[in-house]
Amino acid sequence: MTGVYGLFSTPELAQEAVDGLRASGVPDHEITIQSSEPLEEYAFGSRDRDTLMPWIAVLGAAIGMATGYFLTSITQQAWPISTGGMPIVTNWSNLIIIFELTMLGAVFASVITLMFSARLPRRLPKFYDREISNGKILIGVADPKEIDRVEHALRESSGGVRKMELQR
Amino acid sequence: MTRRTSNSLTDDLLRPVLETSTKFYVTTALLALIVAAGFGTWFYQIYFGLGVTGDNWPVFWGLHETNFVFWIGISHAGTLISAILRIVNATWRRPVTRCAEVITAFALMIGALFPLIHLGRPWLAWWLIPYPSERLLWPNYRSPLVWDFFAINTYLLSSLLFLALPAIPDFALIRDRTTGWRNWFYGKLSLGWQGTPKQWHRLESAMHMMALAIIPIAISVHTIVSFDFSMAVVPMWHSTIFGPYFVVGAIFSGIAALNIVMAIVRKALHLEKYLQPIHFRNLGKLMLAMSLLWGYFVFNERLVTWYGNTPHEMAALWSTQMGRYSPLFWTMIVCNFVLPFPLLTIRKLRSITATVIASCGVVVGMWLERFLIIVPSLSYKGTPYSWGAYLPRWPEIVIFSSSFAAMALLYLLFSKFIPIISIWEMKVGEHPHIKVAAEVQEAEAAGELI
Amino acid sequence: MSHNWGMAVDLDRCTGCEACVVACHSENNIPTVGATEAARGRAMHWIRVERYWEGEFPDVKVKFRPVLCQQCDTAPCEPVCPTYASSHSEDGLNSQIYNRCIGTRYCANACGYNVRFFNFFPPAWDKPLHLQLNPDVSVREGGVMEKCTFCIQRINAGKVASGMAQRPLMDGEIQPACVQSCSANALVFGDLADPDSMVSKLAKSPRGTKLLEELGTKPKITYLQRGSWDDSQNK
Repeated sequence: MTGVYGLFSTPELAQEAVDGLRASGVPDHEITIQSSEPLEEYAFGSRDRDTLMPWIAVLGAAIGMATGYFLTSITQQAWPISTGGMPIVTNWSNLIIIFELTMLGAVFASVITLMFSARLPRRLPKFYDREISNGKILIGVADPKEIDRVEHALRESSGGVRKMELQR
Repeated sequence: MTRRTSNSLTDDLLRPVLETSTKFYVTTALLALIVAAGFGTWFYQIYFGLGVTGDNWPVFWGLHETNFVFWIGISHAGTLISAILRIVNATWRRPVTRCAEVITAFALMIGALFPLIHLGRPWLAWWLIPYPSERLLWPNYRSPLVWDFFAINTYLLSSLLFLALPAIPDFALIRDRTTGWRNWFYGKLSLGWQGTPKQWHRLESAMHMMALAIIPIAISVHTIVSFDFSMAVVPMWHSTIFGPYFVVGAIFSGIAALNIVMAIVRKALHLEKYLQPIHFRNLGKLMLAMSLLWGYFVFNERLVTWYGNTPHEMAALWSTQMGRYSPLFWTMIVCNFVLPFPLLTIRKLRSITATVIASCGVVVGMWLERFLIIVPSLSYKGTPYSWGAYLPRWPEIVIFSSSFAAMALLYLLFSKFIPIISIWEMKVGEHPHIKVAAEVQEAEAAGELI
Repeated sequence: MSHNWGMAVDLDRCTGCEACVVACHSENNIPTVGATEAARGRAMHWIRVERYWEGEFPDVKVKFRPVLCQQCDTAPCEPVCPTYASSHSEDGLNSQIYNRCIGTRYCANACGYNVRFFNFFPPAWDKPLHLQLNPDVSVREGGVMEKCTFCIQRINAGKVASGMAQRPLMDGEIQPACVQSCSANALVFGDLADPDSMVSKLAKSPRGTKLLEELGTKPKITYLQRGSWDDSQNK
C-alpha cells in the first residue's frame, strides 16, 4: 500500500495541511502527524490529549502501599523473635517502607502506562521520514482511499508531496 | 532571543556526541585510572579488614559514612531543578534539567556504593534485600539502614527513569541523523519513537507524574538518611531538626555541584550560547536562599544545644566550637555562608566565575558539615573514659578522591553518548507561543544574552 | 521458668585490679590487638575498668568503675541492627549473633555506654597462645561486632547441669568469668526474676543507681556506692 505525506517546515503550514486533509474528507484518525518536538499550542498537535495516566498512577501507588504494608507486617511476624517487650509489628517505622513503595508504585505505573499507550518499544514503522529530525513536520495518510485528493490537499500547502511504499 | 534555527540548535547540541577530541580520551583515561585506584583500595580494605581505615572505638563511623551522606546530598540537585521547576513551569530550566538529572543519577549510584564500602562483611550485604529465606528472617524494618536501602533504591530507580524517558526523543534524533553503529545503537535506545502527538502527550504526562512523585521521594530520602543519626541517642544526633536540616543541606550542596558541573560543561563542550549567565544567576539566587536557610538551621541547632547545657551534649558541642574540631567548623561557616553571601548578593561581583567560586566553597563546606555531624558526636559519647578521636587514613582518602573521579568519569561518558542538554525541550522553549520567563526577557533587554 | 539475668557492681569494693578484664579475655576468646592497634583505639575489652582521677597531688582521689554491657531492657542497639544480629533473648539478655552481623557498626554508635566492639582485623593468636582458646566460645571473624554476653556459655552450662541433676538453679551457681575472678567480691551475678537472689536484693539497695539512667535504656546492672559519685561530669 502507499503512504502519502508532506514535510512542512513550520507548524502553521502543517496546520493548513491538516485542515486541507480534513476538508477533503479524510477522517482525523487516519491523519498521521509526526514531529521532533511537541506542538501542543497548535490544534493539530493537541489531539489525543486525554489520558487515564494520573488515575493509573494512583492505582499503582495503592498497589505499592498495599505491598509495603503486607511485606512489613507479615514478615515481621514470620519468626517469633523476642524484642524484649518492644512492639513486634512497628507500624510507625513500617510507614517509611510503605511510603517508599507507594511512590515507587506510582512511578512504575506511570512508566508502564507510557510504554503501553505510546506503543513503545516497537520497530520503527516504515511510515517515517528522517527529515523529521531536521525540524520538519510530517503530515500524511498511511493508506489513503483516494490518493489524488490527498495529494492535492497536501500540495496546496507544501513544496512537495512524497509517496512511499509501506508494508502492512 | 535571536531565533536560532532548529538545525543550528540541534547541530550545536549534538556535536559533543558525534565528534570526539583527543582531550576526551586523555581525560577519560586519567579519570579511569583514579577510579581503578579507588576500587583497588576497596578490595585491599575488604581483604585486610576495616582496620586499614581510621575507624576505631568509639568513633566507628568516619570518612566512608561522611562520603555516603555527602553524595546522597549532592543527588538532590536534579530533583529540585528538574522536578520542582518543571511543575512551576519555570522556563529557564530547559538547558539545565538534564545536566541536573545526570548529577542526581550518578551521585546516587556513587553514594549507594558507600554503605557497601563501610560494611565489615560486605559480601553479605544482600541480606538487606527482603527475600524469603529458609531461616524465615527478613531484614529488620525498624532499622534506619533498611529504610535507607528502600529509600535510596526507590530514588535511584525513579531518577534513572526520570532521566531516561525524556532522552528517548533525543535518541530518535540521533538515530535519524547518523548511520552505521550509531544508527543501530540509538535506534534500539529510542524504542521506535516516532513523535506522534499521542506519544508526546503521554511522555509529558509521564514526566509530570514522575516529577510530582519524585519530589516527596527526594525529601524522604535525605530525611531517612538523617534518621541514621537522629534515631540513635548520641549527643547532638538525637534531634528532631535533623530531617529538614539534612534536606536543606542536600539541596544546597546539590545546587552548588550543579553550578560547578554546568560551568565545566559550558567551557568544555562550547555551549556558551545555551548555558547563559542568566541560568547561573538564577541558580545562584536559589543557592543563596539555601545558604540562608542552612545557616538558620545550624544556628538553631547550636543555640538550642548550648542553651540546654546538658552535660551529655556539651562536650561534643564545645569540641566543634572551640576544641579539636573547631578549625573545621569555622572553615565550614566561611565556605557555606561568609564566602557565598557577598559573591551572590553584590551586583558588581555577580558573574559565572563568582558563582562557581561560591559553589566550590559550598561543596567543601557541606562535606565538612557531614564530617562534623558524624565524628565529634561519636568522639564524645558516653562516659568520658570512653571518649576518643578520629583521623582518616590513606584508604579512606583514596576512596574519597576516587569518588569524585568516578563522578567526573561517569558524567564525561554520559555527555559523550547522550546530549547533555535536552534538545527537544530546548526546541519547545523556542516556540513563540510559549510564555518566556520574565527574567529571560529582562536579560535580553539588558543585552546579556549572547 | 524464665530467667532475667542481672548484675550488681559494688563500687565501694572495687579495687581497680582488672582481674575481671583479664578473666573475660581468656574466657571469651577476645583477641589482644597488639600495641599499634591499641594505640589506634581498637582494644577490645568487653569489661573495662574506668579510672577517674580527682584533685591534685597529694590529695588525689581515684575512682574505679567497671563497665560492661548493661543488657538493657530497651536496648538502643537492638532496633538499629539491619539484620537482627543484635537482638533480645528470652532470658533478658541482649544477644549478639555473630553469624548475622554484616558489620555496619550502627549498634556500636547507638550504644550509650560504648560497650560494643568491632573486629577491625581478623583476630589472630600467635602460637602457642591458640592452645588456650576456650572451646565453649566461638572465635569471631573480621568484620563482626562483639560484646559482653554475661558469659552465656556458662549460663547455658549451668542450665544444662541443673536440668540433668533435675533441680532448680541455685543462686550463685552460675558465675561469669569476671564475677568469678573478682578478688574483692565487687561483682554479683544472678537472676533478677528470683526475688531471693542476692542480685535482686542488691538491686533494691538504697546504695544502688543505674549508669546513664537518663538515656532510658533500662540497664540491668546496678552500681552500688555509698553517697553519690559526685556530680561532676563523671556521671
